[in-house]
Amino acid sequence: MLSNFRLSMAWLHTWFGLVLGFVLVVVFFFGSLSVFDREFDRWAIPETRFEPPPMPSFDQVLLPLLQRVPPDEADYAANMPLLHDSAQGPMTPRLQLPADEFWAYTTHRDPVLAMGVGFRVPQPKDPLGHNHIHGDTTVDPRDGSLLREGRQKIGSEFFYPLHYSLHLEWKFIGFWIVALAALSMLAMLVTGLVMHRKLFAELFTFRPAKHLRRGLLDLHNLTGVVALPFHFFFAFTGLVIFAAFYYLPVSDTMLRPLAQAHAVAEAAATGLPHERAGVAAPLASVDAMVVEARRRWEARGMPGQVGFLQVHHVGDANSYVSIYRAGSDRVALVGQAVHFKGSTGEVLREEPAPTVPHGIEEFLTGLHLQHFEHWLLRWLYVFGGLLGCVCIATGFLFFVEKRKRQHAQQGLAGSRLVDALAVSTVTGMLIATAAILIANRLLPDGLADKGWWERLAFWLAWLLAAAHAFWRSAPVAQARLSPAWREQCWAIAALCPLAVLLNWATTGEHLGRTLFQYWPVAGVDLALLGTAGLAAVAARRLARRERRGPSPASGLAAKEAAHV
Amino acid sequence: MSEALMLLIAALAAGAGMAGFALSQPMHWARVAASEGAAAPRVRRGLRGAATLCLAASLVLCLAADHPTMAVLVWVMLLALAAAAVALLLAYRPRLLRGLQGATRRLAP
Repeated sequence: MLSNFRLSMAWLHTWFGLVLGFVLVVVFFFGSLSVFDREFDRWAIPETRFEPPPMPSFDQVLLPLLQRVPPDEADYAANMPLLHDSAQGPMTPRLQLPADEFWAYTTHRDPVLAMGVGFRVPQPKDPLGHNHIHGDTTVDPRDGSLLREGRQKIGSEFFYPLHYSLHLEWKFIGFWIVALAALSMLAMLVTGLVMHRKLFAELFTFRPAKHLRRGLLDLHNLTGVVALPFHFFFAFTGLVIFAAFYYLPVSDTMLRPLAQAHAVAEAAATGLPHERAGVAAPLASVDAMVVEARRRWEARGMPGQVGFLQVHHVGDANSYVSIYRAGSDRVALVGQAVHFKGSTGEVLREEPAPTVPHGIEEFLTGLHLQHFEHWLLRWLYVFGGLLGCVCIATGFLFFVEKRKRQHAQQGLAGSRLVDALAVSTVTGMLIATAAILIANRLLPDGLADKGWWERLAFWLAWLLAAAHAFWRSAPVAQARLSPAWREQCWAIAALCPLAVLLNWATTGEHLGRTLFQYWPVAGVDLALLGTAGLAAVAARRLARRERRGPSPASGLAAKEAAHV
Repeated sequence: MSEALMLLIAALAAGAGMAGFALSQPMHWARVAASEGAAAPRVRRGLRGAATLCLAASLVLCLAADHPTMAVLVWVMLLALAAAAVALLLAYRPRLLRGLQGATRRLAP
C-alpha cells in the first residue's frame, strides 16, 4: 500500500471524495434549500401564501375533514396484500377500511396543515404489527378547504426528500446511497484534517491571486475548516436520524418479538392502551384537551402551541389523544406530550422530562431538522450548507486542475470525465432547480398531477445540462478550461430571473409588493436574483480566464510530488 | 436590548475576534500592512488574548439572546461566518483591516 499514514489518508480522501462527492454535493445543496422548504412550497402554490395560524379547532374544523379522507389508492394497492391475511376472509374494499388513527401536524412556517388518517386492516397477518393503510391531505385552516390534488409542494415534497433519499425509492436504495455518502463525509473530514498539516496557521489563508490550483486548494481548505463543526454534525446527525429506522432496523427484523413485547409492556406501564378494546365509544372534545395541554405546558414553564396531535384507536373505548408541543423555541424536537383518554378527556399521562439518552437524541435530531423559529440560525445553516457545496466543488476542480496537464500529455481522458461530471453536478443542479421553478409557474394550475410534470422538467433539464457538459468538455483533454462552465453560468444567470419574472407575471406578487410584506416569497425571489448575479460574475471571470489561455507550466509541475 | 441587536453585536464581536486571530499570524499581519515583518511576540500574544475575549463576549451575547441550546449553535455558526469573512477580506480587501492593525499598534507598543 502507500508508504505512510498521511499518504494513505490522502488516497482515501481523494478517491472516496471524488466518487461520493457527486452525491454529497447534491445532498448538501438540496439540504440547504430544505432549510426554507416550506417557503418554496408557498412560492410554488400561491393559494397558500398567507400567514401561518395556530392549529384550528379540531372538533369544528379538522375532525369533519379527517372523517372524509379516503385511503390512498397506491398505498392500498401496494400494502393491503402484504398486511391482509387472506385465510381469514376477503380483503376489505379500500373505501370501507375503518379509521384507526388521526393525526394533524402544524409548524410556525406552514400556513397549511398536514393531516392524515391511518386505516386499520381488519384481518391482519400480524395482529401486533403496525397495520395501517394511510390517507393524507393538506388543509387551508382558514376555511377548512382541501388543497387540490396533484399540487406538488416543491420544497417539502421534492427538494427535501431529494436531499435524504435522492428520490430513489426502490428498496430504499436512495437512503442507503445518501447514508454511504454521509459516512464518507465523516471520513473526508477526518482524512482532510490528517492531510492538512498547517490547520491553524492556514485557517484564514485564501490566495486567489496565485495560480488556480493554489487558490482552489486554499478555498477547499477554508470552507472545510471554518465550518468543520457544522459539516461534522450535519453528516453525523443525518445518520443518527435514520439509523434506527432505515439503516439498523432491528426492531422490525431481528428483534421484532422483543420490540413488540416492549410496546405492550410500555403500554401497560404508561396506561396508554396498545390495542383496541373492541367496544365503541365517542370522542370527547379535543379542543378542551388542547386547552388543558397548553395549560400544563405553561405550568411547567414552557408555554407553547400544539405541534402534533394524534388520536389513537379511533372510535374505541381504548382511544387516547396525544398532544405534542411545537418545539419552536429550542433545538430539541416536538415533545412534552400530554395524553388524554379519548372518551372522557381526562389526562392519562403527562410525559416527564426526557432521560439523558433520549434528550441527547432529541437534541441531535432537532439540530438537523430545525423546527425551531430562529431566522438568523436558519440563514446561518444555509450558509454552512453552501460552504459545504463549495468545499466539495472546489475538491472536484482541484482534482481536475492537478491532473489535467499530465493527462493531456499522456492522452488520458480522466480529467475530462471528472470535469464534465463536475459541471453536470454543480451548475447542472442549479439549472435543474431553476427549471422546476419555471415549470411550476408555466404549467397551468388545474393540470392533473402537475407535480409529475414539474419533476419531469427538473430531471430533463438536469439531463440536458449533463449532455451539454460532456459535449463541450473537449478542451479539458488539452489542459484548457471547458467552456461548459461559462455557458451554464450564463444559463443560470438567465433562468433564475426568468423564474422571478414568471412569479410576477402569474401571481402579480413582485418584489415591490412582497419585500418586507411577505418574506417567504420575497426571500425566494431575492435568492434567485442573488444566484443569477453570482452566476453572471462567475461567467464573466471565466470568459476572461478562457481568453487568457492556460497559465504557463510553472516550476511547480516539475516539483510535483507523485500524487496518489 | 432586543434579541436582534444582541445577535448583531455578537456577530461583530465574533468578527473582531477572528480578525484578531488572523492578525496575530505573521503572514496576515504583513499582508494588511503591505510590508514584511510581523508584530512582536508580545503583541501577538496580546492580540490573541483580546481575540479570545471577543469570542467569549460573543458567546455570552448569544446566550443572552436565546435558549441555550440554540445560542450555542448560533455562536458556532457565527464563528464560521466570521472566519470566512475575515479570510475573504484578507484575500480581496486587506486594507479594510488596517484600522484594527493600527489600533493594535497603539494599544501595545
